[in-house]
Amino acid sequence: MSNADKGLSVVDLTVAYNGVPAVRGISLEVPAGQAIGLIGPNGAGKSSTLLSIMGAIPRGGTVLVDGIDIAGLPPEKVVRKGVSLVPEGRHVFAELTVMDNLRLGAVGRRDKSGYAEALENVLALFPILSEFSARQAGLLSGGQQQQLAIGRSLMADPDVLMLDEPSLGLSPTAVDAVFEALDVIRGLGKAVLVVEQRAEFTIAFCDRTYVLHDGEITLTLKPEDANNVDVLTQAYFG
Amino acid sequence: MSQLLQSLVDALSAGATLGLAALAIGLVFGVIRLANFATGEIITAGAYTLIFTWQLGWYISIPFAIIVAVLLSLLMELSVFSRMRAATPATLLIASFGLSFLLQRVYELAFTNNVQTAPVASELAQSISIGGVRIQMLSVATILLAALLLTGLQLFLTRTSLGLQLKAAAADFKTARLIGIPASRVIGLSFALSGILAAAVAFVTTVQTGAVGPTFGVPITILALVGAVIGGIDKISGALAGGFLVGFATSMLASWLPQDMSNFKDAYVFMLVIGVLLMRPQGLLIRGRGAVRT
Ligand SMILES: Nc1ncnc2c1ncn2[C@@H]1O[C@H](COP(=O)(O)OP(=O)(O)O)[C@@H](O)[C@H]1O
Ligand SMILES: [Mg+2]
Repeated sequence: MSNADKGLSVVDLTVAYNGVPAVRGISLEVPAGQAIGLIGPNGAGKSSTLLSIMGAIPRGGTVLVDGIDIAGLPPEKVVRKGVSLVPEGRHVFAELTVMDNLRLGAVGRRDKSGYAEALENVLALFPILSEFSARQAGLLSGGQQQQLAIGRSLMADPDVLMLDEPSLGLSPTAVDAVFEALDVIRGLGKAVLVVEQRAEFTIAFCDRTYVLHDGEITLTLKPEDANNVDVLTQAYFG
Repeated sequence: MSQLLQSLVDALSAGATLGLAALAIGLVFGVIRLANFATGEIITAGAYTLIFTWQLGWYISIPFAIIVAVLLSLLMELSVFSRMRAATPATLLIASFGLSFLLQRVYELAFTNNVQTAPVASELAQSISIGGVRIQMLSVATILLAALLLTGLQLFLTRTSLGLQLKAAAADFKTARLIGIPASRVIGLSFALSGILAAAVAFVTTVQTGAVGPTFGVPITILALVGAVIGGIDKISGALAGGFLVGFATSMLASWLPQDMSNFKDAYVFMLVIGVLLMRPQGLLIRGRGAVRT
């Protein structure tokens, strides 16, 4: 496998709900060591894209992980192929402790022996999780829960990390903390696909950003486009 | 005073029995939104097994009853419910009614409509006198058995990886799968545990009656389902508490209502149920999220 194949590759992805198309044949490249953005208004099909890649909802098209086709696999098997999703709304297990949430994240590991090291890395990335390890996850703040949700995904040691609106409902400082962590994760050589509604911020952070409108990719943007008013207007309003 | 104590112990025991039965239903419901009415037929299967094998010795009969109950529970999942993953909770409930009636007819064909009898653990059917208070041995045994099972279950759910996976799946099945918890593993586990609890219920109820017919498990399942709904069936602790409450209340009413009114004890319990649901409708079967999709 050449290095260029490392990461996530999506070709001609389609999703429909009861025959109504939500994603209309999109293609994405998320190379290892890069963060790729996917932005667009509510209902554009962003979550459908991520959930269908995970195998949580049916899809058409091809999804390759590190060059390997993952057709027909349910979410628990997709995780074992090295893809992990931090779902919209975080969905930590509120009644379980922080540590138990992280432990559960390791259930999808391909290599069970790396557990201790993975835990160490996650706690180093998010020290607050170490401090609150015995606390019920539901008692954490929104920002802390987002860190936990990301940490839980990292426990599976994914090659591809996808995040669905990680900044949703968070304070500006909490958003900064999340994106600082994503920068570190990108630096570790993982392929990061981040869905956001906040265009400007995402475009500036990501190596490349796709704009999704009504299930179709209408634009592909570079970081320097973050300051281009015309491009931003087009990104927001199509 | 002594009569109060006696009825209290009996009510605790009735509550423990129904709590276990409701938990058997709630464990499965938490994971796949199935309120399995045919849990009653798992209880009946365990009860028949006890009746037919008791003369071989309790150390054979009891494990055998547990195995039969667990296998039947898993068989229901594999042959019926696993094919209905996209169904709504209402459809699943109705399918489980169908399965329940079907199994009752099977029991009738196999063992006739007459009750089968055997003195299962008849030592427990005696009562002992403690300081002038007469207490049923079976009531004490039931309370101890329930305490033992609940402690074991609690340890399993909080201290083992498999238990945590089940807890996570019961809390949020979709997210559990998204982070890599295999659906078939936790679903199978919930049915197996449900079978073990049903076997425990079968044991205490069979000791009590010593007689088992095709519809043996039905009344207790109706009450357990009612209890689970009151308590909030999608929470493991809620189902347990609701089942306990219904069992406790029914038993207390039976002891303390005047003779001519105690025939209506179930009516009072169901009035209580209606009251609870009016005040706390979230106790109802179906919560916000839809059925599990695979
Ligand atoms: N479970 C569903 N059933 C039916 N339609 C859905 C479902 N989920 C999403 N949709 C529809 O698909 C489209 C894309 O939704 P979604 O992927 O959630 O968009 P986004 O995440 O970009 O806001 C919307 O029109 C939405 O109404
Ligand atoms: Mg969305």
